[in-house]
Amino acid sequence: MIATLVRKDFLTNLVSPRFAIGFVLCLVLIPFSILINISGFQDRSTQYRLDRDAAEKAAAEVRVYSRLRPEVVLPPEPLSVFGKGVSGQVGNRVQIWLGDKPLLAAGKTEAGDNPFLASFFSVDFVDIAAIVLSLLALIFSYDAFTREKEDGTLKLQMANSLSRSTALAGKLLGIFATLLPILVFSFALSAVLVLLARDVVFSALEWGRIALLFAASVVYLAVFVFIGVLVSARSKSSVTSLVVCLFLWVLLVFIVPVVAANFAESFTGIASRDNLDRVLKDIDKERDEEIRRAQASAGIPERWNCWWCSSDEDGVMEIYGSARPDFENFRRTAMIAEPIRVAYADKKWPTQKAYLDSLFRQARAAESLSLVSPTGVFRAIASAICRTDLASHARRMDGTRRYREGFVRWLQGRDAFGSFSWITPTDPKTFKTEDELVEKRTGGEFKTAAEYDAWASGQKDFRARWSKLSAIKLHGDSPDDFPFLDISDMPRYRDQAGALFSGLESSVLKTGLLVVATVFLFALGYVAFIRFDVR
Amino acid sequence: MFRVIVKRELLHNLYSLRFLISLALVIVVFAAGAISFVRVTAASLEKYRQTQGQFLETMRGFTEKSATELAVRKQTYSLKPRANAFISDAKEKYLPNAVVFSAWNVFSFENKSGTSNPFLQRYDELSWAFIAALIVSFIALLFTFDAVSGEKESKTLALSLANPVSRGTLLSGKLASAVLSVMAIVGTGVLVSLIVVLVLGPGGLSPALAGEVLGFLAAAALLAATFATFGLLASVIAPNSNVSLLLALGFWLAFAVIIPNSSTFVAKRLFPIESSETIQKNVVAAFDDLSKNAPPGSWAMNSGNPFLPQHELRANLQRKRLQAEKDIHDAYYQAMFRQFERTRLVTALSPVSTFEYLTEAVAGGGYLRFRKAWDDMHVYQGQLLNFFKTLDATDQDSPHWYNPNENVSTTRKPVAFEKVPQFEESPLTLADRLGPALKYLIINIFTATAVFFLTFILFVRYDVR
Repeated sequence: MIATLVRKDFLTNLVSPRFAIGFVLCLVLIPFSILINISGFQDRSTQYRLDRDAAEKAAAEVRVYSRLRPEVVLPPEPLSVFGKGVSGQVGNRVQIWLGDKPLLAAGKTEAGDNPFLASFFSVDFVDIAAIVLSLLALIFSYDAFTREKEDGTLKLQMANSLSRSTALAGKLLGIFATLLPILVFSFALSAVLVLLARDVVFSALEWGRIALLFAASVVYLAVFVFIGVLVSARSKSSVTSLVVCLFLWVLLVFIVPVVAANFAESFTGIASRDNLDRVLKDIDKERDEEIRRAQASAGIPERWNCWWCSSDEDGVMEIYGSARPDFENFRRTAMIAEPIRVAYADKKWPTQKAYLDSLFRQARAAESLSLVSPTGVFRAIASAICRTDLASHARRMDGTRRYREGFVRWLQGRDAFGSFSWITPTDPKTFKTEDELVEKRTGGEFKTAAEYDAWASGQKDFRARWSKLSAIKLHGDSPDDFPFLDISDMPRYRDQAGALFSGLESSVLKTGLLVVATVFLFALGYVAFIRFDVR
Repeated sequence: MFRVIVKRELLHNLYSLRFLISLALVIVVFAAGAISFVRVTAASLEKYRQTQGQFLETMRGFTEKSATELAVRKQTYSLKPRANAFISDAKEKYLPNAVVFSAWNVFSFENKSGTSNPFLQRYDELSWAFIAALIVSFIALLFTFDAVSGEKESKTLALSLANPVSRGTLLSGKLASAVLSVMAIVGTGVLVSLIVVLVLGPGGLSPALAGEVLGFLAAAALLAATFATFGLLASVIAPNSNVSLLLALGFWLAFAVIIPNSSTFVAKRLFPIESSETIQKNVVAAFDDLSKNAPPGSWAMNSGNPFLPQHELRANLQRKRLQAEKDIHDAYYQAMFRQFERTRLVTALSPVSTFEYLTEAVAGGGYLRFRKAWDDMHVYQGQLLNFFKTLDATDQDSPHWYNPNENVSTTRKPVAFEKVPQFEESPLTLADRLGPALKYLIINIFTATAVFFLTFILFVRYDVR
């Protein structure tokens, strides 16, 4: 009996114009969203390769350890082709500093090179699915009973020896039998487009995740089918049912998520970035003061000479061609300063974490509020499945912080802070005294530094003074005399691949929520249909 | 006769369920938006006051050191949160909202980090413009999709046309009544929002605000009319009201969801610009070129004596470098503006997008506001430079070798902070707003007229039985 009912409803739906139009809608919108996102992914992949090569080149072309500041470039997530989540707005580059832990990722966002494009929004497969599937579900279910009642076929049907449960089950299965092929077709089409696309490579793990996304879509579809059936069973006419369903659709799909974000923004404030920067600057000042005190108490003079030196923020220091005591001063400076710098990074972290937490809190509040709508739940689950949700990003950022710890440990393990190789590639055995340097550089014209200084103080033109000193070029006076540092054993950042279900712990609860909503709506629909006046 | 039809249709709409539900929905969302706006504005104004205080404090610090320090140091001016953002926020949160300048150049613009949360999925503010774009377009379609096909099914269409009434009059009557119904709903929402904002918010009612509200209502009426004609079109094409509903929803998805959301794709594929890395490379190349051709000694440094001859060489080189960098960057900014404006022109295919651009112009915000501030900043930078040069000219101890990057070879005397010209952002004039909006207005009116004409032709040939 039920098979007959399902077959009848399926065929009626199949020949109806709404099936054709719904199918065409999917046929146009799904490829459109996938193609746009594949193109975005290709842009990001190109940018990733450029950034990664630049970062590797920068790390390979250093001669002293103090200049080594590896940059982590996070690879784009292939699943972002389906659901972008927050991946388009958080950046993908993390510079590793000694004096700071990674806070926010830098680098280009979805807007690319033109910041004005950030004011344009974009949709992905998940958004389109959330919009179109809910619409189709409602379009096929809003008149489940009202239409047949108006046509007068419902009472004919119920005149047979047919229980209401069977009638309802037949109706629902008929609707699902119509909608599932559309859903399967949408996913199949997307899969084909992904397979054909250059640069997008899915492993078995990714396909497994797409299967999970499919399962989530089925539950999402079911929720809206049951909403439609419930409204239909409570309405007097098809027109009423339709109007109610459409308004519910606009409300749940378009308005609730925006209201949720707006309320999250207005009721959970975030800490001020300017404020954070000011506090950090103060801590930096405190640190520099501590370094200065430590150096003074170690008896290191504040000023000294250097022949070729270059310094930069975060304690970068590179020295060539200096005399032994100067080298020694630089080495001791770094030996004292760098551990303090590293310790202060830990000291800054609670302040930075408080700021970061306030950002997370607001984003989570927006997500929690949007769970009022099945669309909000579906989006949250989908972005977790696609590994582009906030939690995935937070995991990756935690990874970069762990990487920094590993990098610092590696430096400490080779005693880099206390060695000459921190500041110069020059072999300590070849260090010379100042007198030797002056004698060699001037070609023997001056025997000691004091002799040269006495002569130089009588010279007006400072360029003439220098030209004497650069008469003979010594090996080791400039960076070009040395090879790059061998950093083959430096730890590298690895992006964790994860398992099929990793990172989905919180989604289980959300899926449970969706399933409970489905069962509840079904129960309500069942009761409403039992009480439905079929005449 | 026209009035009779409008009255009948209007009453029909007013008594309908869709009118009641839309009204409830609109009132709730408008109120929610207004409350959210009031709370967010208070917080962002507080943040702005801090930023602005910091800005002035920094500038005062420079003036106390010397006039040259004031001239050469880069400063960041942030735009104030707009008081009428509840009409249209124009996505200002995501647009550049700060300008980096010195007396010598307006360098760049940036979106001050901290104004928006990068972890929060990008979303629209609940401003009037957003609510109207979403709901007006939707209910305008809802009021019209079965205007013809539905009446045909209920057999009243043939009866109506049995009277001495032309098909054109009937169609325009339906259009007018749909627009009036929608505007009644939106008007109520606007009123609710205005009351909340005026009672709880800091601002009061001003003639400018009244003008903006009227401008907004006009734009909303145009949007309603455009979508009502699309609804009528769907109603006339389709054989029955079920199909016309699906067609109408298809129009809505295309105009409200698909076209506006494909802008980034359109921009990058149709109007690509050079990458920022290339631009940086060009700047470095230009710098290398200048350094190579500079007379020897140009880089020598000795800041003790302002009259050291090398300072003049270096000042010349630094001015040339600044000019070279400015030329490259300004051309790049122009390319960005062009890319953005062309993309907007493409998306103007959708009446929802044109509505967004029109309300941006009405409220005087968003991209238009930024462009004006950007242009005005260049004028201000000229004033600041003149101020500095006049000051420098009166200083006997200065060699007047203008160096845009260093505080060496120009006046080293401090300057009274109160005398320094300050940048004041002026609101957009009517002409500033109308000019850029005109093309969108023309496109929108043209689309609406064309669709209405098409609908009319189809309706004339329509079998009403």
